[in-house]
Amino acid sequence: MRGTSSMRGAKGNAKAMLQLKLMLPLLRKEFLEAWRDRRALIMAVSFALLFPAMIAGGSTFMIKKKAEEVTRVAVLGGAQAPLLTEQLDGPGLEVVSLDDGEPRSLLGQGYHLVLVVGDEFDQRYRDFLAPPLYVYVDSSNTSSGRAQRQLQERLGALQQLVVTQRLVARGVATQVLAPWKLEVRDVSTPSARGALLLAMVPGLLILTLFVASLATSVDTSAGERERLSLETLLLQPLPAWQIITAKMLAVASLGWLGALMSITALVLLMPLMPLAELGIQQATTLSGVFSMGLLLLPLALLVAVLQILLALRSQSFKDAQTQLSILQIAPLVLLMALDMAQVSLEGSWQLVPLVSHQQWLKDLLVGEVVSLPAMLAGSAVTLLCVVAAVLLGAKALRRESLLSAA
Amino acid sequence: MIQVQGISKSFAGQPVLRDLSFEVPDARITALLGANGAGKTSCLRILCGLLRAESGQVLVGGIDPVRDPQGARRQLGVVGDREGLYERLTVVEYLDIFARMQGLSGAALKSALASVCEELELQKLWRRRMGGFSQGERMKVSLARALVHRPKHLILDEPTRGLDVLAVRLLRRTLLRLRSAGTAILFSSHVMSEVAELSDRVLVMSQGRIVGRGAPDELIAETGSENLEDSFVALAYGERTRVAEEVV
Repeated sequence: MRGTSSMRGAKGNAKAMLQLKLMLPLLRKEFLEAWRDRRALIMAVSFALLFPAMIAGGSTFMIKKKAEEVTRVAVLGGAQAPLLTEQLDGPGLEVVSLDDGEPRSLLGQGYHLVLVVGDEFDQRYRDFLAPPLYVYVDSSNTSSGRAQRQLQERLGALQQLVVTQRLVARGVATQVLAPWKLEVRDVSTPSARGALLLAMVPGLLILTLFVASLATSVDTSAGERERLSLETLLLQPLPAWQIITAKMLAVASLGWLGALMSITALVLLMPLMPLAELGIQQATTLSGVFSMGLLLLPLALLVAVLQILLALRSQSFKDAQTQLSILQIAPLVLLMALDMAQVSLEGSWQLVPLVSHQQWLKDLLVGEVVSLPAMLAGSAVTLLCVVAAVLLGAKALRRESLLSAA
Repeated sequence: MIQVQGISKSFAGQPVLRDLSFEVPDARITALLGANGAGKTSCLRILCGLLRAESGQVLVGGIDPVRDPQGARRQLGVVGDREGLYERLTVVEYLDIFARMQGLSGAALKSALASVCEELELQKLWRRRMGGFSQGERMKVSLARALVHRPKHLILDEPTRGLDVLAVRLLRRTLLRLRSAGTAILFSSHVMSEVAELSDRVLVMSQGRIVGRGAPDELIAETGSENLEDSFVALAYGERTRVAEEVV
């Protein structure tokens, strides 16, 4: 009895091996087709390189903008208060004293603010009569609020200094005026500041998986169906799950390599980005890059098989393209909605594909440590979803309506 | 041999095949004739296991395609109503891949590839990608794919459509050679001269039923017609008219 059952087991194993062997040429066909599609490759590479370039460009723009954030103040009647004019000038404020001019036209000449010192300022100042200072601002200018705040802060500090000096001159202890001293200390770590700037990167990496594989997934499913080559494939002695699996692997290869290309480009561009000037240290490590590549692999498979499933359900090639374009936006909308709702993504959220991937990518990008068991559990759940989707795909291939004119 | 026993099929409640029974014997060429919409393609797809009959049974070389689709497909070579080629593959890549999917490898694979290359005169096309091939070239490659694993049964859906004279001659020669080798061949066509010249047996379909069967000469005699075309018209359209009258 035992001998018979072991013989049956050996026969079963040999049959399974033969089936897998028959799948290899199909895999070759799918990969050749996918990687020889110039249009799909251009699309994958373009998007994969475009967004790291955008991030690099964006950060350079941010630092340039920060450098440009100097408030230009024109002072009219500055001769009445030379010391004030002198004291205002400093980092972030460029003060120009003018003999005459009209505030409105000066605001149109590149000055953010015009400070007008009254005619009797000097005399009223000496007499402790609180001489007025007039600040002219064009509130329709987007930088007017920042400029106004900056000038008020500087004037406030000067005012405090004058009051202190006056009280000291009268023998009053300055501590009486200041029950406390406020100091702001930034406790954010470079990696946390990096997370702020790089927050959009995980979403874009996930989007790359979709965009880089879109053309191939449509071509290999709806395209094959329209060209009737799918029928030829279904006539081969292969189970439907192998056909879907081969297609999934070919489609996922493009998405995954697109995402890897994005990560590599991003890491290579990081030294060129003015991260230090933004207070960010480059924290992405080589092992981090490796881990990102590994954890994106199951997600690439899931994205590929979902796209194929949807494309197989479409009425035509064009219909599939439209439906998949909408599908691409869905994960980003979901991730943004969770972000906006400030949902705490702990516990069971770590098992939800996409959500967990976004979290891990975010952490790895800024050099944080990600829990290995959590990553393994999340990846296992993603792979289970892949298996379920492959079985659904196999069922879809057996649908009679898949054939033309059926 | 392909055996079809009492198969029926309908789409959206509309019957397409009604209790269809026939045989495709080995070493014979059987033609399946019918007007557009007569149910030929559906019938051929059921034989290949792409569609399921609602009743009846099909046996391909004794194998039921519903119970053992992979087994039945190993016995079959199929050329569909479109060629189903992959434009980014070369001819040799395409044939190699499909031959391997049928389980060929090593020396057997090499010999099979060399054989179809020679038989179907594919030498000039061998290493070319298939994008931009003419209709005749596409048909040749498609036929090569259907034959590369030397199936015992061959099914062709309108194989001469869009072919030039030379391609038709090559196809005819190939089918006759396969018949001599014992292959059971079933093909559908609208070209009566082709059918008359090639086929040993003819099945005439109308409204999902077989309305005539026999050798071309037998059908001509049976209907009292001058040629196969008249005979087909009498059988297919005469039956259609009769069914329509019955319904009224």
